Amino acid sequence: MSPLASPPARPQGLVAPALAAVASLALSAVALTQASRYHAGALTAWLAAEVSAPPPGAPQAQALAALGARVEARRLAPAPAPAPASAPGYLRPLLHLDGAGGAARVTDKEWFDAYWAPREAWTAAGGAAWRRGATGEGEARLVTRATPLAPRPLPWGALLGGALAALATWVLVARRGGGARGAGLAAAALASAAAGAPALLHAAALEGQGAALAAALGGAAAPALPLAALAPLTAALPWLALGVAHLFTRGRASPHRLAYAYLAPTLLSVGLLVFVPFALGVALAFTRHQRGELVWVGLQNFVEILSGGDYALTHPLNFYFTLGVTVLWTVLNVALHTTLGLTLALLLNRGGLRLRGIYRALLIVPWAIPSYITALIWRGMFHQQYGLINHALGALGLEPVAWMGSFWGAMAANVATNTWLGFPFMMVVSLGALQSVPRDLYEAADLAGATPWQRFRHITLPLLAPALSPAVVLGSVWTFNMFNVIYLVSGGQPGGATDILITEAYRWAFEQDRYGYAAAYSLVVFVILLAYARLTQRLTRAAEEVYG
Amino acid sequence: MSPPAPHSPAHDEEGAPRGAWARAWPHLLLLPFTALTLVPALWVVKMALRPAQSFDLSLSPLPEAWSLSNFEAVVGAPLFWRQAFNSVWVSALTTLVGVLFSATAAYALSRYRFPARRAALGALLVTQMFPGTLMMIPLYYLVDALGLLNEVAGLVLVYSATAVPFCVWNLKGYFDTLPREIEESALMDGAGPVALFWRVVLPLSRPALAVTALFSFMTAWNEYILAATFMSDERAYTFPVRLQQYVGEFSAEWGYFAAGALLVSAPVMALFFALQRQLVGGLTAGGVKG
Repeated sequence: MSPLASPPARPQGLVAPALAAVASLALSAVALTQASRYHAGALTAWLAAEVSAPPPGAPQAQALAALGARVEARRLAPAPAPAPASAPGYLRPLLHLDGAGGAARVTDKEWFDAYWAPREAWTAAGGAAWRRGATGEGEARLVTRATPLAPRPLPWGALLGGALAALATWVLVARRGGGARGAGLAAAALASAAAGAPALLHAAALEGQGAALAAALGGAAAPALPLAALAPLTAALPWLALGVAHLFTRGRASPHRLAYAYLAPTLLSVGLLVFVPFALGVALAFTRHQRGELVWVGLQNFVEILSGGDYALTHPLNFYFTLGVTVLWTVLNVALHTTLGLTLALLLNRGGLRLRGIYRALLIVPWAIPSYITALIWRGMFHQQYGLINHALGALGLEPVAWMGSFWGAMAANVATNTWLGFPFMMVVSLGALQSVPRDLYEAADLAGATPWQRFRHITLPLLAPALSPAVVLGSVWTFNMFNVIYLVSGGQPGGATDILITEAYRWAFEQDRYGYAAAYSLVVFVILLAYARLTQRLTRAAEEVYG
Repeated sequence: MSPPAPHSPAHDEEGAPRGAWARAWPHLLLLPFTALTLVPALWVVKMALRPAQSFDLSLSPLPEAWSLSNFEAVVGAPLFWRQAFNSVWVSALTTLVGVLFSATAAYALSRYRFPARRAALGALLVTQMFPGTLMMIPLYYLVDALGLLNEVAGLVLVYSATAVPFCVWNLKGYFDTLPREIEESALMDGAGPVALFWRVVLPLSRPALAVTALFSFMTAWNEYILAATFMSDERAYTFPVRLQQYVGEFSAEWGYFAAGALLVSAPVMALFFALQRQLVGGLTAGGVKG
């Protein structure tokens, strides 16, 4: 335990539960609003996609008007001419849904279809259209106008009642004494039950709205209940948090409560926005995407990847080929980054060097430029006809090189770009680490008549290694997953040979429309990196033991 | 420079080598390398300053004709100021949230010993290995479910969550190097554990906080692909999304792109130069060592 002991826990007053009640009320209101909006959006999209605009005066049109909705939609077939495919898909807008007469929200399934299959979204006159199917056949839809349905007003009375009931329960149970833990959890459960009733009623009303539309127009509308069921859960969260807080202040974990409080925001945000998507991605790895539906296929994706598919070992689409390229790419880059960064740092760290500040400032310029800009610049510089590099070669009387025409040429272009991009980081880390090397060691070495190489080998390197090795490990992980450079500079040319695992995964997802396969691919990449990190951790530990 | 010191034959007391050659040869390596490093950047500057949209074909470092027309076109484009504001706002909020979250978390991980400490550290490290391709579509769903598509808040949430793990490790490394005696003596003087962090540790950590803020800022300021995915409304675009459109689907306006690239890079560049001392100190000590 640190010297920083927590102060004694104060008895809990009424403030905390009152705050929890307000938070619970606000959260459930937000959740319900979102559920309601989402439902309205889904209905609107359903109308836009499935229903032709009814002629004015028809019973359908009256039904729409009664619900506050207005739809003008038509289908176009066949598809208009495809968009020019000059730009890389990565830099293309993924979806254009804003039409002339207002934006239309789309349902999950539609979004998936649109996101998945085409990506070559193009703007058509008066609206947005997107192509279905990878081949360009099939239908295109032109959503001209789809007014969103008005969301239903929230049942404020019921929500307030639920929150008050929960507050009363908490106060009654908690004041009675007994286990604080049990009281907290019981109150939280009651609160969620109380707040759940109006949420579910609200959802039922929403579904009624959808059903009325469906009855008037024919077809089935989107359900609202599953999403609205989240509202009781969110309403229960503050009470659960209060229960947990109580647990820490009164119970076993109390000495650590400040630590947990400090950690909570980070863990919550990283958990929700990094770990939850990761878990969803992992689940996707066991599915296959078919006509907008996800089908569970078990381990099939992994088997296909790890068996190399039907491709020969030398084929760019074979997993092991790509893995080999990735390892080569990582080793080359990390070696260059480390050597260059360390050399420059050693040069800059020489005592009495003039212009040091200027050199250092100019040498970190590449780091300050966003990597996608760097990548696009270098792609231009390696252009066979217009690129600066071939012009420089020409000025020297050399033949222009078709950089993207050969594996090694494209690899060289990628590595050059990434080296430019990455050496400043290693230089700065090395510079910092060098500052911690005590100068008197060098003086002693000088007195002993050591050569510069001996000074480097026996003083600098052993003292730098512990500080540099984590940076090298992190750098290799970043390089292993360096998407921008590969995708934008060589784009995998020639014939996908210079693709690394991460760009290959991206292509499977967004060019081959196989998202489950791509997710499995990404997961394999992750496992490889994890194994690598574990291994280097072992190595570092072993090294530390050796060096003491 | 300084008179020869008897105790060290090859170096004076500043550690500077003696002899003209020993002082000159590092420049023979550093000068050409620095020049080479600056070529791509200068090429962009040149393209931005000439009144054309095509690739530049001459080897001269100066444009054949000078013009600010590219900058005028970029700045004068519809919604430019709106999109610039989006970028600044998103980056500022991300920096604020990122530094606040990571500083508190790093302090807890550095100074307290509690049951889940190692697990938390490990979990934060593991996130650095999550492949972006795996996260993108689930993230889209999540942000959509939160109703935050086309909203600054959606980007801020995602960016800070992405930036925080690295920032936590960096700051934790720095906090680890701060001597505990300072805190213990503050404790003796009657400072509470909360005041200890906010009044003693944070002010001592300014260099590392500056670097952490810089990284948070860069995460948001430079990010392209998530912004392009989440922001479909032109009014919600950030700078990078706007910028790529100059060399995107329907156009190859390299002059505009170069001018825009300079505008995007300028603030980061300025921050880098302002913070370069802290960068060396704040990254090192912080480094990434656990």
